[in-house]
Amino acid sequence: MFNKVLIANRGEIAVRILRACRELGLETVAVYSDADRKSLHVRYADEAYLLGPAPSRDSYLRSDKIIEIAKKSGASAIHPGYGFLAERADFAQAVIDEGIAFIGPKPSSIAAMGDKGVARATVTAAGVPVVPGTEAEGSLSDDDLLKVAPEIGFPLLIKATAGGGGKGMREVNKLEEMPELLASARREAESAFGDGNVYLEKLVEGARHIEFQILADTHGNVIHLGERECSLQRRHQKLLEESPSPFMDEDLRQKMGEVAVRAAQSVEYVNAGTIEFLVDGEKNFYFLEMNTRLQVEHPITEAVTGVDIVKEQIRIARGRTLSRQQEEIQMNGWAIECRVNAEDPYSNFMPSTGYISHVLLPTGPGVRVDTGVYPGFEISPYYDSLISKLIVFGETRAEVILRMRRALEEYKIVGVRTNIPFHQSMMDSHRFMAGQFDTQFVEKRFSIDKTRKGQEAHPHIAAIMATLVAHQHTQRSAHVIQRNERDTSNWKWMGRWERIHR
Amino acid sequence: MKYITTIGEKEFVIEVVDEEHIIVDGVGCKVNFESVSGEPVYSLLIDGQSHEAYVYEDDEGWEVLLQGSLYPATVVDEREHRLKSAFGSDPVQSGEFYLKAPMPGLVVAIPIEDGQKVEEGDVLIILESMKMQNELKSPRAGTIARIRVGIGENVERRQTLLSVV
Repeated sequence: MFNKVLIANRGEIAVRILRACRELGLETVAVYSDADRKSLHVRYADEAYLLGPAPSRDSYLRSDKIIEIAKKSGASAIHPGYGFLAERADFAQAVIDEGIAFIGPKPSSIAAMGDKGVARATVTAAGVPVVPGTEAEGSLSDDDLLKVAPEIGFPLLIKATAGGGGKGMREVNKLEEMPELLASARREAESAFGDGNVYLEKLVEGARHIEFQILADTHGNVIHLGERECSLQRRHQKLLEESPSPFMDEDLRQKMGEVAVRAAQSVEYVNAGTIEFLVDGEKNFYFLEMNTRLQVEHPITEAVTGVDIVKEQIRIARGRTLSRQQEEIQMNGWAIECRVNAEDPYSNFMPSTGYISHVLLPTGPGVRVDTGVYPGFEISPYYDSLISKLIVFGETRAEVILRMRRALEEYKIVGVRTNIPFHQSMMDSHRFMAGQFDTQFVEKRFSIDKTRKGQEAHPHIAAIMATLVAHQHTQRSAHVIQRNERDTSNWKWMGRWERIHR
Repeated sequence: MKYITTIGEKEFVIEVVDEEHIIVDGVGCKVNFESVSGEPVYSLLIDGQSHEAYVYEDDEGWEVLLQGSLYPATVVDEREHRLKSAFGSDPVQSGEFYLKAPMPGLVVAIPIEDGQKVEEGDVLIILESMKMQNELKSPRAGTIARIRVGIGENVERRQTLLSVV
């Protein structure tokens, strides 16, 4: 049993975990890099210790330092959050070897699911269907991959063996373009994971990306908390998730849920995890991968099931049984999460860095914001671009879409560009409203309108506001010149100045 | 002061009479304009209608984010307007184009070389920032004149990377 938890992460997820610890009366230890001294997670924690310079490999990836800080501060458990060290079996093992509880799965489960080849073989043996591909065959050379590609059939995907989050992933439509795409996929994988190995996988067309949340305790209980619809992605990065999926029916949910539980059991899974599936138009589903950690989008499941997943993770790590059984899990209402990223949707989602000078948070009924930033905080180029997660929930999908529109309009972040306008366009999209979308929708069939449909365009109001601000600036710069420069009165000087510039 | 403000194809002639009165294309309006707690979020009451927007300056002019729509705007006063219409030219199509880093990051690839001819849309540099690789493309056809950075180099925002002539 532990009562002090070290959170080996940063940003909104570190804050999320801190909050769960607070509610459970646990003491908290934060770690931070030079770039994060003023981060919210440092300010919220009971204790905080410096890891090192800003780049991840010198700070949040320094497992040795993190364990050392845990021991020094007397933390008896470590929560890894997502990303960084969350899916590193060697880190989990090192933590356990020091007699510290790891709030997550067993190292053996992380390893089994982390190697995609092993994962596919394991779940296939448990009777779980997988997408055709070369994953189980280990690292193949470009020549071998080019030879096997026509057998799998086009279109297909090149994926990084060590991958995740869409890095090192490329879509190939014909053999001729494959050599070039292989090179760029390997280059990106090499820089992101230090491992340039890739494999091929059939691209399931019209596919939806639907995942199931799993909870498993150390007493052999495994349950699922229903699905999350994650099809809205750009470059294989999720942008918006909802639960339940508009595509799901009770029969399919039950079938997929059972398969998800079986996949988790096949690696003797413990703690929270997620089974990702591809589902085609005929409702055939294929195992994609298992994420052996807390997901970014976990709050939508919390909203519809009422289960606090992070608190449940801690409960499991303390050796207790799950607080609920499968029969007690019910999905009520609807929830949507928009990931607010520091990216400019008007210039090809280019990352945007800078100081956040002002934030107006949406509030009111059915709104939750998980964030790690505040006015005065700098968005640095060192970490990913997620600023916050806006989660909205209500009784029906229609109500939630309207509520999300309202919340997005209230939300103002000043200082960096954000993708909020993208989400607003999405909420206006008829195809989104009708639930007709697949994993290709954002990239192939959706474009963000500069002037949104269903909204009255106000170019004249925009023109007036730009003019008034420009006018204020001109006036202000005139004022700056005024000081110390003149002996005559300001009004006289202004008159002269205007005459000169007429 | 009289301004000519352009949004897309549309031109508005806006005269700021005093703090509370403006004339938009010949029509007088009563306005109350406040910045919200000194930040670039502005609240405008115009003839009783309430609007709120985020107005910021960038390299090319102004951008107004109003109810989720982005309106790029140029604001010039009458004098500038006369000058501009006398010497109108498109800076992208002629002269030297300097490719500047849109954000701080790491140069991971330079798929072109000095003196190479490029087409509009060709990838000039791949810049990694926030764990994403971003392709910086040529806005027009031309010849690569000077590459000022190397692979593996960290660059600052607005740093000139190369030029296209």
